[in-house]
Amino acid sequence: METKKTSKELLSDLLNKHYEEALAAKGRGEIVAWSTSIAPQELLETLDIKVVYPENHAAAIGARKCAQEFIDQSEGVGYSTDLCSYARVNLGYMTIQESIAGNIPLPDVLFCCNNICNTVIKWYENIAKELNIPIILFDMPFNHTYEVSDNSVRYIRGQFESAITQLESISGKKFDRERFQEVMRISSDTARWWNKATSLAAAMPSPLNGFDMFNYMATIVCLRGKQEGLDLFKLWAEELEAKIAQGAGPWKDQEEKYRVMWDGIACWPYLGNTYKVLKKHGINMVTSTYPDSWTIVYESDDLDGMARAYSSNYVNRNLEFGTDNIVRLVQDFSLDGIIYHSNRSCKLMDFRQYEVQRKVQARTGVPSVIFDGDQTDPRAFSLAQYETRIQALAEMMEQEKQRKEA
Amino acid sequence: MFLGVDIGSSSSKAVVLDEKQQIIATAVINTGTGTHGPEKAVMAALLQAKLGATEIKFTVATGYGRITYEKADKQVTEISCHGKGATFLAPQARTVIDIGGQDAKIIRIDDTGKIENFVMNDKCAAGTGRFLEVMARILDCKIGELSAFARNSTQEISISSICTVFAESEVISQLAAGAAKEDVAQGVHQSVAKRVAGLANRIGIRPDIVMTGGVALNDSMVATLSQELKQNIAVVPFPQLVGAVGAALYAAEFYRKQLVKTLL
Amino acid sequence: MKQLNNLITELETAAQYPSRTVQQAMEISKRPAVGCFPYYTPDEIIYAAGFLPVGLWGGQSDIMLADTYLQSFCCSMMRENVEQGMKGHYDFLSAVIIPTYCDTLKCICENWKAAVPQTILIPMVYPQNRSIQAGIDYLVAEYQRVQEELEGISGRKITEQKLTDSFLLYEEYRTLMREFTILAARYPITINAKTRQLLLKAAFFMDKKMYIQKIREICRNLENFPAESFDGKKVVVTGILAEPTGLLDILVENKIAIVADDLANSSWQFRTNSQKGNGVLEKMAYRIADQSGCSLLFEAQKTRGQLLVDLVKTTEADGVVVVMMKFCDPEEFDYPIYKKELEAANIPLLYLEIEQKMDSMEQLRTRVQSFAEMLDD
Repeated sequence: METKKTSKELLSDLLNKHYEEALAAKGRGEIVAWSTSIAPQELLETLDIKVVYPENHAAAIGARKCAQEFIDQSEGVGYSTDLCSYARVNLGYMTIQESIAGNIPLPDVLFCCNNICNTVIKWYENIAKELNIPIILFDMPFNHTYEVSDNSVRYIRGQFESAITQLESISGKKFDRERFQEVMRISSDTARWWNKATSLAAAMPSPLNGFDMFNYMATIVCLRGKQEGLDLFKLWAEELEAKIAQGAGPWKDQEEKYRVMWDGIACWPYLGNTYKVLKKHGINMVTSTYPDSWTIVYESDDLDGMARAYSSNYVNRNLEFGTDNIVRLVQDFSLDGIIYHSNRSCKLMDFRQYEVQRKVQARTGVPSVIFDGDQTDPRAFSLAQYETRIQALAEMMEQEKQRKEA
Repeated sequence: MFLGVDIGSSSSKAVVLDEKQQIIATAVINTGTGTHGPEKAVMAALLQAKLGATEIKFTVATGYGRITYEKADKQVTEISCHGKGATFLAPQARTVIDIGGQDAKIIRIDDTGKIENFVMNDKCAAGTGRFLEVMARILDCKIGELSAFARNSTQEISISSICTVFAESEVISQLAAGAAKEDVAQGVHQSVAKRVAGLANRIGIRPDIVMTGGVALNDSMVATLSQELKQNIAVVPFPQLVGAVGAALYAAEFYRKQLVKTLL
Repeated sequence: MKQLNNLITELETAAQYPSRTVQQAMEISKRPAVGCFPYYTPDEIIYAAGFLPVGLWGGQSDIMLADTYLQSFCCSMMRENVEQGMKGHYDFLSAVIIPTYCDTLKCICENWKAAVPQTILIPMVYPQNRSIQAGIDYLVAEYQRVQEELEGISGRKITEQKLTDSFLLYEEYRTLMREFTILAARYPITINAKTRQLLLKAAFFMDKKMYIQKIREICRNLENFPAESFDGKKVVVTGILAEPTGLLDILVENKIAIVADDLANSSWQFRTNSQKGNGVLEKMAYRIADQSGCSLLFEAQKTRGQLLVDLVKTTEADGVVVVMMKFCDPEEFDYPIYKKELEAANIPLLYLEIEQKMDSMEQLRTRVQSFAEMLDD
């Protein structure tokens, strides 16, 4: 009898399949897309257009510690060190086209959605120019008001319609509205299961070791519109529920001492180091702003709802929402502290960190630290600085704990 | 007789050239702009050449302190002077790399000896002589010793941070973890080499590649940079005088042009 | 000649003392002022509402307060704006409009709510998908929203007539400024690099009605003189702004004249006129849709490189000077693309990294001078 695969094993299989299928499709002469990480993949899925995600790929390259080669390539042609390292890695890969972290096929069409940042607009603009291919832009205006405005929703919906026409022309296929509704339904459900699984980390102790969550992130990016994605997150949720029932914490060999939120992207080239330092102090990362960002839910016949949902992720919202969001996470996940990653590559996240930190501190009293790092550039991180700051956080959290017990 | 004066932030160099483009005298003084260094360098060179100041027909100043040096007839940047000086001393030179105390520059020369393009780094200590000085201090040695340590390295250690402050903490961490001074010293050289190579890639390098400036006297630096670029690098003789040589050559040129103008 | 010099000095001074100029303009025009962040704001609506649009493009303060909100790798222009705001220098404005074209601007706008709460903030987001109908509709609706906010502040409705008059004034300004820059290129000594940029900068602090009168007079005066022969080098400048003023002094020192520009605070403001649309707001929206070669507006074709090549050809310039504002991501992304195109066209290129406040000019001086020497040979 076949033993059932764990979600971790399934995750690995599905990711491999995802890349293999894209390469195979390209080999057969089918068109392949590159897309940003929180883009309306429903449209591509409906037309059965294979898509890969440069951010996933760059993260993998960073984690395999081979980013420098690609960074040297792009900096060598004039890209500034200031720029997002995902972009520098990917633009370097576009020329080198070979990596020990795995290969992706070059794209025939680009899917660019700026709900994650406006940097992707410039990055993808350059890819389109260099490769001379069409780019479909989904412009989701930043929400300076608390909620997404009706004007924004109308505009985004209009872009969805325009994109469908463009995709039909590029692919030569007819957009099947029924299939679209089915994909919308699956996408929403998959997002709900993702949310359910990641929410289970709120249990005390948490069954989820947060850095594990970083691994699953690749699949919420690329499998959101697929039944396999739904099944994966459902399985993961079941595993976590089973662990909770047993009262199992994140680690077999030690107790969860402190619970923190990690604000920002991981330091991929230093995943091991950053994780070990946290574990040494018994610090478990139980949540971040990412789970919510991919919880994109809407009714399956509601294009306006879909527009609104896509524009609603954390980094596309105003400071007030951002603060409320983190305060809610502090409460829901019983956080003892917050780690803010001042990510040299991500200005959209960084340039509000100071104020958010102050506001959250004022409302919750929870200690926090900010450290300097980068998502993929190995040169912009100092282990010594990180260790010092995490230790300082641990000391503050211990102090707070003792104060409460007194 | 023509005089070239190169006034840097920490040293002053002077070169005297005759009408046949022969170098008659040279001088290096270890104080730079804002001190009496420039005058001392000029005096030392004139003494060596057994000349009076009035026998100098034209003086060109270069380097950081060129603007405020009043005795110059003209001032030309060190980019032009390093380019000119390098091609004079090494006519096959097509790429000149100068890692100075405060900046790094790469100069591309075309086949007629003219400057084609240049790129400079002067915002950041990493990739300059300053980086080596800072690291030497941490390793508690002089620059010369740093180079010797690097030569005896047996294991590769990476100092990867672009930021000098972060790199310092990397070096300290390595030493605290028991890494050998030799290996750390080599890592430091590699770090500078990587920065300079990055700069070089931006304008593209073409052989023959030649190094000028004080850091060119550091043989570990030359070797490491050569490895990083995967190219041969020659060191111009008397590399720290290249700027002043170029300035003196410009002095001769400007004097000739001036003469031609007055004759017409 | 004297009249010309007086006019030039008047505008140069206006540009160099923005506070004073704005106060004077407010008094003369009897208009309260509304601050406008880079890069494009609905100035026509602001003007029609009875306000004086004032450009807020950074400054020269030492950064002390802005560090509370921003890491050091934020572009100097935005840090300066936050600094000035926090110091109370913008308290006299009736409102501040912040349009958010880039990630930094998004954060600046949000931080402004906490850092400069004493000002009335009107955030705006221009569409990046600006040519499709949905984009035009979206922008027109944004314009309407801003119009309503301004009406609320002034207590008066903006009449159709006022809006039309204002729009025509700004169209006139754009047309005139294009004529001026073409004319100025023939007088690289009288309208040297520094004078040129200061003359253009003054527009941000004055009532456009008065400003175009001065520019017209300058043009009329210049036309009396033959084109100036110039033994220096001519360049096209590209970037956000050609500052600090010290840089312009260095260009003049090295006999480098700016014969055309591709700068955000100069030509970007007036190189495109409105071509179509029903009603003023739609005309304004279509004008934005027609802008090209601008790093802050999405453009799949990326025509900036070709634009620079053409500018160099038509002005017979000797090269292009890139004034790269450090930490400006959109500009830094454009650079490798147009660099390649300029190199393919054999156009010499000088890359300068600038910040608005630079304490030492030496590094810039060395690079500019080396470039001039390189072009000389």
